[in-house]
Amino acid sequence: MTGKDILKITLNLVVVYVVGGLILAIVHANTSPIRFANKVAAEKAALNSMMPEAEDTPLLGVWKIHDKEAKYYAATKDGKTIGYIVQSFGKGYSSYINTLIAVGRDFKVIKVKILDQKETPGLGDVIEEVDFTNRLIGKDAEHLKALKTDTTEYVQAVTGATISSRAVTDDAVRNGVDFIRNKMKEGGPGNVRRK
Amino acid sequence: MSAENELSNWELIKNGVLKENTIFKLALSLCPAIAVTTKLKDGFFMGLAVVFVQVMVNLTVSAMRKFIHPRIRLPIFMLIISGWVTVVNLLMDALVPDVYKNVGLYIQLIVAFASILARAEMFASKNKIVPSMFDGIGMGLGFLVALIFVSMFREALGNGTIFAGTSFAMSIGAKPLLIMVLPAGGFFAVGLLMALFNWLYTRYGTKSHAG
Repeated sequence: MTGKDILKITLNLVVVYVVGGLILAIVHANTSPIRFANKVAAEKAALNSMMPEAEDTPLLGVWKIHDKEAKYYAATKDGKTIGYIVQSFGKGYSSYINTLIAVGRDFKVIKVKILDQKETPGLGDVIEEVDFTNRLIGKDAEHLKALKTDTTEYVQAVTGATISSRAVTDDAVRNGVDFIRNKMKEGGPGNVRRK
Repeated sequence: MSAENELSNWELIKNGVLKENTIFKLALSLCPAIAVTTKLKDGFFMGLAVVFVQVMVNLTVSAMRKFIHPRIRLPIFMLIISGWVTVVNLLMDALVPDVYKNVGLYIQLIVAFASILARAEMFASKNKIVPSMFDGIGMGLGFLVALIFVSMFREALGNGTIFAGTSFAMSIGAKPLLIMVLPAGGFFAVGLLMALFNWLYTRYGTKSHAG
């Protein structure tokens, strides 16, 4: 290897790194506002879809589950609290399942939405579908239990996705409902503080 | 100059889709062909991303072929590939966020696709820009077509749906074949379609001289 080779190799790498870095910087700079806007819009749309009748969803605070930070919100209408929206995580088969739970003042589930999960595609990921999440509606913390048998009193797990069903029902949603119920009992219901 | 250079642009595309189809003929990059093909939509966008990366990598490598020192050509190719993959990754995240949610993980894996590095080394580094571009389109399309067939097959049998539409299997009272959406089903699907492709290819494909 001559000195000329070394010079050329160095030059090769420098050019590729500099040009590549420039292209990436330009693409990143141009797409990151879009990605940020998407994220904000997605969060807002998700909160809105949880409780369409709510006029405002002020953030109440942050709680911790599985060492992850999850947010919880009040849902208000005409200045009165009509329910709560809680973010929660459940430990699934291959991922932490990020869920959003809407509960009424009676702390029964109104709606559950899976925000993010990486369960087995085509198998565990069916828990994302309304067919499953609808099974949780109307349940209180005591009845949030995924069973393999036919049940309407509790929650029937999806065949082939028992672990994922349990992660959503017994872990994410039940803990979320429990949390918000205890929290609101401490602070008194309807006590909305903006943070 | 290699003999491949004498092929017309159209023949280059045909070569990528049929004669040297990444999945069915060369049996390269089978990992994504099994990982992201449980749903047609995922397979389709994965294939599109590969077409983009393959074309851009071929163009870049071809444009730089006289400038790159032969001793470090492979690291340079890898840098070029990972650069373009990152571009696709960022673009898809911003433009099609709901698809990205499913295939994002595998988009990053395009960096390690044998087929992309192989085309950069075997074709683009030896040929002019225009043939390299068509070679990229051909190879990318071959991959896309293969992914479409595999994922259509698996979604239809495993979920009973096409493009996540209504379940036609349910309407005739059949139960979906669960195994088709599992990794084992991926091997079955790829194997069966590979056999079918090669049977059709040897029967009809070789009669026309371009194949």
